[in-house]
Amino acid sequence: MKKSVPIALVFITAVIFLLEYFVLPIELKSTVTMLQNWGIILTAFTLGFGAVNMFVFHGKQVSRRAKGQWPYSLWLLIILVLFTLVGVIMGATSTQYSWLYNSSYFALSATVYSSLGFYMTSGIYRALRAKNAESALLLIVGVIVLARNAPALAAQFPILVNMDSWLSSVPTTSAQRGIMIGAALGAIALGLRTMIGRETGFLGQTTEGEKGG
Amino acid sequence: MLVAGRMFALGMLIAICVLIIVCMELAKKNLPTFRKIAGLDALPEMIGRAAEMGKPVHYTTGLGELNTNMASQLVAGLSVLSYVSEICAKLGVRVIYTVYQSQVMPIATELMKEAYTRAGKADEFDADDQVRYMSGEQFAYASAVQGVAERERPAANIMIGPFYAESMLFAETFYRIGSIQLAGTARGYQIPFFAVVCDYLLIAEEIYAAGAYVSKDAVLTGSIRGQDVGKFIALILMLVGVILTLAGSNALINVMKL
Repeated sequence: MKKSVPIALVFITAVIFLLEYFVLPIELKSTVTMLQNWGIILTAFTLGFGAVNMFVFHGKQVSRRAKGQWPYSLWLLIILVLFTLVGVIMGATSTQYSWLYNSSYFALSATVYSSLGFYMTSGIYRALRAKNAESALLLIVGVIVLARNAPALAAQFPILVNMDSWLSSVPTTSAQRGIMIGAALGAIALGLRTMIGRETGFLGQTTEGEKGG
Repeated sequence: MLVAGRMFALGMLIAICVLIIVCMELAKKNLPTFRKIAGLDALPEMIGRAAEMGKPVHYTTGLGELNTNMASQLVAGLSVLSYVSEICAKLGVRVIYTVYQSQVMPIATELMKEAYTRAGKADEFDADDQVRYMSGEQFAYASAVQGVAERERPAANIMIGPFYAESMLFAETFYRIGSIQLAGTARGYQIPFFAVVCDYLLIAEEIYAAGAYVSKDAVLTGSIRGQDVGKFIALILMLVGVILTLAGSNALINVMKL
């Protein structure tokens, strides 16, 4: 019962979405929209779980004075309360809330994204080493693409542009398409297993008695 | 009434589903053999290493959400989480699952609790500590996971699900702290990043097969054979398409547009 009800719900919902995509689009549109709205409501509701989890976890860290953790936890809780208060009192679309969001999260988010460049550089430094045939190939291709994206080098050696173009449109595209076809088939198989109740890993493993078949 | 332009896709979907079901039924009589997936075979060893070092295992399903087209990757990641949690429970290793979407929290909590129960260690599961909601914002989540990595120094990092720009932030941070890493995603742009940094990699379809692979269930593994038959069909269609196009015919293209 604990597993069969969720599986039945998954099956019915999946069939509705499939029918809406392939068959009778107008008649099922309102049902699909309703299901999507339920999803949004559920998401909003579960945010409460997330907030409670954060308060419990970080509250414990602060009360235990967990080494190396509690100051960050305290700071997180202060910011969490501040955002909640401003959002609830002033409104999530107010100037005050927007200012708070843009001048803290927006700036920090951009900073973290920018730091990606350094992580990529250190990753490339380790990856581009000719240890064997495959890594030597990766090194050669990597150097060509890097050189092509350096404007001065691309202007000096126009052949790099053609080489990069061929690499992107032939081997890379064919490999990506192969991966996409495999992934799509994998997703269909997983979807089917989920719909018919065979893939229950996301609900916890079934016992032998529950498996059936 | 079928939607125009989607009839061929529907036909192929039905054909592949029937094929997969047939393969699943056949697998009940004759268990299929398939190649080893190094990353999944290495999971017990990775967790064993964490046990020896007395450090936790970190698990993430990336930016997986239940209500988007990335849900299938999230479900694939959760299937492996169940398996990882059970091994961790048996070996007495703390597994920390960092959550991006709050909707996943109750599912993950239940799933991990069951895994601990199966291992006979239900009392050792601490949901508040082991299932941690971080943030629903991409880079806030990324920073929070990096914080967990730096402060708690997990011995192993397992990442299965949809990943975006944060993939390299995670992989490099965990590499720097000496974690052994398994990564898997079906997002083509992130596969190269994981390939150069992580110890083990699951490429696209392998993450969808992961749940079936680790379960060792005959019927589930049969569905993997069904996937392979689907690949042969795709290959045949490609060859026929190339031949017809070279012969100046658009017949297959027109059929696909039905």
